[in-house]
Amino acid sequence: MEYAVETSDLTKVFENKEEGVKQYIKAVDHVNIKVKHGEFFGLLGPNGAGKTTLIKMLCTIILPTEGTAKVNGYDIIKEPHKVRSSFGWFHGETGGRSLYWRLNAEDNLKFYAYLQNVPKDIAEKRIKALLEFFELTKDSKKLVKDYSTGMKVKVMLARALLHNPPILFMDEPTIGLDTISAVETRRLLKALNSELGKTIVFTSHNMFEVEQLCERIAIMKDGRVIADAPPSVLREMLRDVHAVEVEIREVDDLSKTVEALSNLSIVKKVMDAKNESSNVIVRLQVDDEYEAIPIVASKLHSLGVKFSAVRRSEPTLEDIFVKLTRGEET
Amino acid sequence: MEVEKLVGIISEEVPRRKTPIYRVILSFVVRDFKVWWTYKFWLLLDISGMVLFVVTYYIFSLITTSQQVQEAGYVIGGYFTFALIGIAFQQYVHFAVQSINESIREEQWNGTMETILSTATDFRIFLLGEVCFSFIVSSALLLMSLLVGFILGARFYVTPSSILTAIILTVLLIASHMDIGILSTGVIMKVKQGSPVTWAFSWLSQLVSGVFYPLKLLPWYLEWVGKAFPLTYSLDGIRLCLQSGKDLTSPVIITNIVSLVIFIIVATPIALYVFKIGYDAARRDGSLGQY
Amino acid sequence: MKVEELIKLFKDDKPRLSSEVIHVWAVFWANFKIFLSYRTWVIMETISTVASIAMYSFMGLQVDATRVVLAGYGEVDWLSFALVGVATANYLWMCVSRLSHSLQHEIREGTLEPIITSLISMRSYIIGQSIRGFLVSGYFMLGVIVVGIGVLRTPLIINLETILSFIAVILLMVLSYAGIGIMAAGLILVYKKGDPLTFLFASVTEFLGGVLFPLKYLENFPILYVMAWLMPYTYALDAARRILLNGATLLSPNVLLNVTVLIVYTVIFIPLGLKVFKWGINRIRHEGTVATY
Repeated sequence: MEYAVETSDLTKVFENKEEGVKQYIKAVDHVNIKVKHGEFFGLLGPNGAGKTTLIKMLCTIILPTEGTAKVNGYDIIKEPHKVRSSFGWFHGETGGRSLYWRLNAEDNLKFYAYLQNVPKDIAEKRIKALLEFFELTKDSKKLVKDYSTGMKVKVMLARALLHNPPILFMDEPTIGLDTISAVETRRLLKALNSELGKTIVFTSHNMFEVEQLCERIAIMKDGRVIADAPPSVLREMLRDVHAVEVEIREVDDLSKTVEALSNLSIVKKVMDAKNESSNVIVRLQVDDEYEAIPIVASKLHSLGVKFSAVRRSEPTLEDIFVKLTRGEET
Repeated sequence: MEVEKLVGIISEEVPRRKTPIYRVILSFVVRDFKVWWTYKFWLLLDISGMVLFVVTYYIFSLITTSQQVQEAGYVIGGYFTFALIGIAFQQYVHFAVQSINESIREEQWNGTMETILSTATDFRIFLLGEVCFSFIVSSALLLMSLLVGFILGARFYVTPSSILTAIILTVLLIASHMDIGILSTGVIMKVKQGSPVTWAFSWLSQLVSGVFYPLKLLPWYLEWVGKAFPLTYSLDGIRLCLQSGKDLTSPVIITNIVSLVIFIIVATPIALYVFKIGYDAARRDGSLGQY
Repeated sequence: MKVEELIKLFKDDKPRLSSEVIHVWAVFWANFKIFLSYRTWVIMETISTVASIAMYSFMGLQVDATRVVLAGYGEVDWLSFALVGVATANYLWMCVSRLSHSLQHEIREGTLEPIITSLISMRSYIIGQSIRGFLVSGYFMLGVIVVGIGVLRTPLIINLETILSFIAVILLMVLSYAGIGIMAAGLILVYKKGDPLTFLFASVTEFLGGVLFPLKYLENFPILYVMAWLMPYTYALDAARRILLNGATLLSPNVLLNVTVLIVYTVIFIPLGLKVFKWGINRIRHEGTVATY
């Protein structure tokens, strides 16, 4: 039992009948991943990349078309019952459905504790502690239908932890949480991983949190894993990418400015331009950051653009992600 | 598609005209028909359920006497015709009221409610559109059940004037039950539970409107309660037309028609008001998309 | 509560012990609580029940009593005759529709997925749901009988023996349909829609089972007559009428024959139903459509 999760050529093809014509959609395509016991593993990918389908297969909700997987050493096809006692599952995309809206938080948790065979005294202690941790104690007698999305998400998170499983499948766990709760949830997951040695398989859109938490990251696109490495290694892939970041305060015509910058001979291309609070951040790929900074600054100055900074930009996971998923050369 | 292109297409200036009401309603009917057509199986079930219903009351009529019905002034056809008209029209309006509620619930369930209400469509037109299609379907079922009844031995007075009068009464029946449907939908939006309310209403109206027996058999207090239900007047009128050959020249019919018109005049503003309250309440506590 | 404290709490763990009884209890308890939260539903359904009984009592005024004798239960009045029919038909309808209804709910609200990933077996789930169905429907049946005897003074024969026999017959009736209910549930999992089917089921039962009229009158329609005697409900209703109208017990030969038929149906249909249900679960796991939000 060397790996907590091990898939071998795991594949899922969905059949879809549209106007009588059968269509086949390869949601997961021969995926081979291995997650060690106690590892914090991240699964990254755009919408529709197959992350959720992959996790649902590991959770025994969806049967694979081809290949199989082992969770905690048990086969997901042959021993679903044993697999089910090994993991806790959270599915953020449901936006707080998947709970009984006409029961209160406590009853929801109690129900699943019974279903997960948690002894009564332990269940009570844990439910109390989890409700307190997620700051739901004072609302715990209110029906879930009157909860905000964030509160529902917290109840679902508590449900996934309730039976203290060795493996946690966390599908977008911070979706719908406010910033402070998201920070706390990340801290909890980190502690569960480092203190209790739980294996965590984590998916997210948020590059920052994946980078911060995960020891290893797999990137999925169109059902395939296109990269599988620690964040540092992935970042290494962009070693030869040099970038400069411009923070613009005020500008009349952004597209014109961007065009002018891209025409500079030192700028290889414009990586992206996006609004961040009151500023516009433009990232430029260049040959040499230190040479580029003064040139870019003087160009902006001559265009009459008010800017607050021109600085060197570290390649982020987002760059890798964009680079890989757009199918560009690595 | 590049962002610039897309922005170009969207921002292209198109003069916004008000879509004519009939077009809006037609689009609802077409949409419902398309959805309904994917459940062809349902039609079969609806029809077989209807046939079974008619046959049930045919056999029931075999153990009844027609004495009370004839004493109440419904001349031909006996108990079976009497019960057939009662059940067919009662089911007709029950089906209609229920489908108003159900379509709203379905919209809430699918989460399309919020989308539709956030478009520029007036909610009254929205309601009208929602019910139009189900009235078409239930009218077809009504005619079919009368036909099945006729095959089994129900008899009607068929003269142009009696049929015309029956149709007028039917239209008034529909109009009055639209109000009831709208009213109950307003309540449902708030309490989130559809069918039990409609079912309870359906049973109550069966009890006091004389669906299965002449009103004379009821004790006086239930007979009085029955006077509050538009179904009572419609059934009496329609039966007098189809079983006794009465028409617009008969004072009894005129009384029924006037009662129905009064009901509609009084109930329409109340129904719309209650609906508005329920709708606003649901918007206030943000539960429009809930069910 | 800090992260550290929570972690400490999770450090002490006890082995989890599997218990089907607790699973069944949990499903029953949670769903019963959900049911109680639908207060309007309970009130409205109670009104419907009372109104329908009142209506039948007025319908009865037009019935020619001599034609009811043909049913073979002696000189009983039509109202008692119909009341037993309505009570049992309603009960059956509620039990079967409850199961399919709550299952559709679980699919739509996405609560079926966490249930599948938990340790409960589908058998325990169905049993838990069904127990709730028995009890909830029992409330309404009790209502029908209490109003019938108390207000309308129908001469039903009520003593310890008939009550026990009646309850046994009702249980057998539900069990003989349980297989069909479970089968329908399995089909609902796959096709997501089931209401029209249950509706047709209700009208067929009400019509063919002879709720409102003696089955003798169906003899002119040979196909329908044969179909009627193929339904377990017809046997259950016959037994229930013999018990409550004529004072027979479970051991009376006529009742015993009916009971045997019901047992045969139970034995055949429950395993079949469970098979279809299992097929349904695996089918949706294969299609990946457990939840359809």
